Amino acid sequence: MLLTPDMVPTVVATGASARVDAHVAPRFRVGDRIRVRNHNPTTHTRLPGYLRGKRGTIEQDYGVFAFPDTHAHGLGEKPQHCYSVRFTAREVWGPAASDRDTLRVDVFDDYMDPD
Amino acid sequence: MPKPHQGPAESDPAIRVRALEAILTEKGLIDPKALDALVDTYESKVGPRNGAKVVARAWVDPAYKQRLLSDATAAIKEFGFSGLQGEDMVVVENTPDVHNLVVCTLCSCYPWPTLGLPPVWYKSAPYRARAVSDPRGVLKEFGTELPETVEVRTWDTTAELRYLVLPERPPGTDDMTEDQLAELVTRDSMIGVTKAKAP
Repeated sequence: MLLTPDMVPTVVATGASARVDAHVAPRFRVGDRIRVRNHNPTTHTRLPGYLRGKRGTIEQDYGVFAFPDTHAHGLGEKPQHCYSVRFTAREVWGPAASDRDTLRVDVFDDYMDPD
Repeated sequence: MPKPHQGPAESDPAIRVRALEAILTEKGLIDPKALDALVDTYESKVGPRNGAKVVARAWVDPAYKQRLLSDATAAIKEFGFSGLQGEDMVVVENTPDVHNLVVCTLCSCYPWPTLGLPPVWYKSAPYRARAVSDPRGVLKEFGTELPETVEVRTWDTTAELRYLVLPERPPGTDDMTEDQLAELVTRDSMIGVTKAKAP
């Protein structure tokens, strides 16, 4: 559908959430230890490369969203949970990093395995 | 050979964007007037003063702050700030022990209804790489030095959530009104590269 100037105020005001109103069982719970998969697609992904293989902890479950890796390619929403996952700076960047600093990254179910 | 007297050359991305826009318009896939309306909305109507109002309210109203931290999307909507790139908001609070910093390492995801469009540096490769790998170095370059005892918590906004930092209320502001407080809240303090301004 072509976006016309008269539609702009409505689009701006409402947006389009990627949340999916589907009941999908989460693969992880808050507090679970996870390991990020060694995921290297040549297609669209929302997994930053620096997290591959890293260990983290589930901090919060944000609910069910369309999975960008399939959705971006017209391969369906593949709805799944997205979580805020905590990684220590040392786990990701090695011993020279601060022992206090941390990262919080939004990670989809399909990018992780239990650790 | 560049010709003299033509002003600075257009950057490669600008040329590419112009070419894409021309092709998409020619094919009838976009209406350039709609693009102009979108750009105008975020250049002149929506911007970081929206976020500043939210932050100032949270500083003066503990019940509002509670709502903001537990359901940011709904609490921000109380001001009428909602929609595109603010559909699923998360507000993260700075405290004496934790300093939050927001980045999108994959592209330039940013909470438009509260902050408008992102600054150029937010979209630059060096910021995106270093906010995660050397956050204290980045903060220092913005003039923000934090003691080692403070946890720097970098939020990489890789998925569909959009993040706004709730900076700490500066000391010596007890007598200030909500409107006066909002003046202390800068865009950069809501990305987390600086603190709110001192009064």
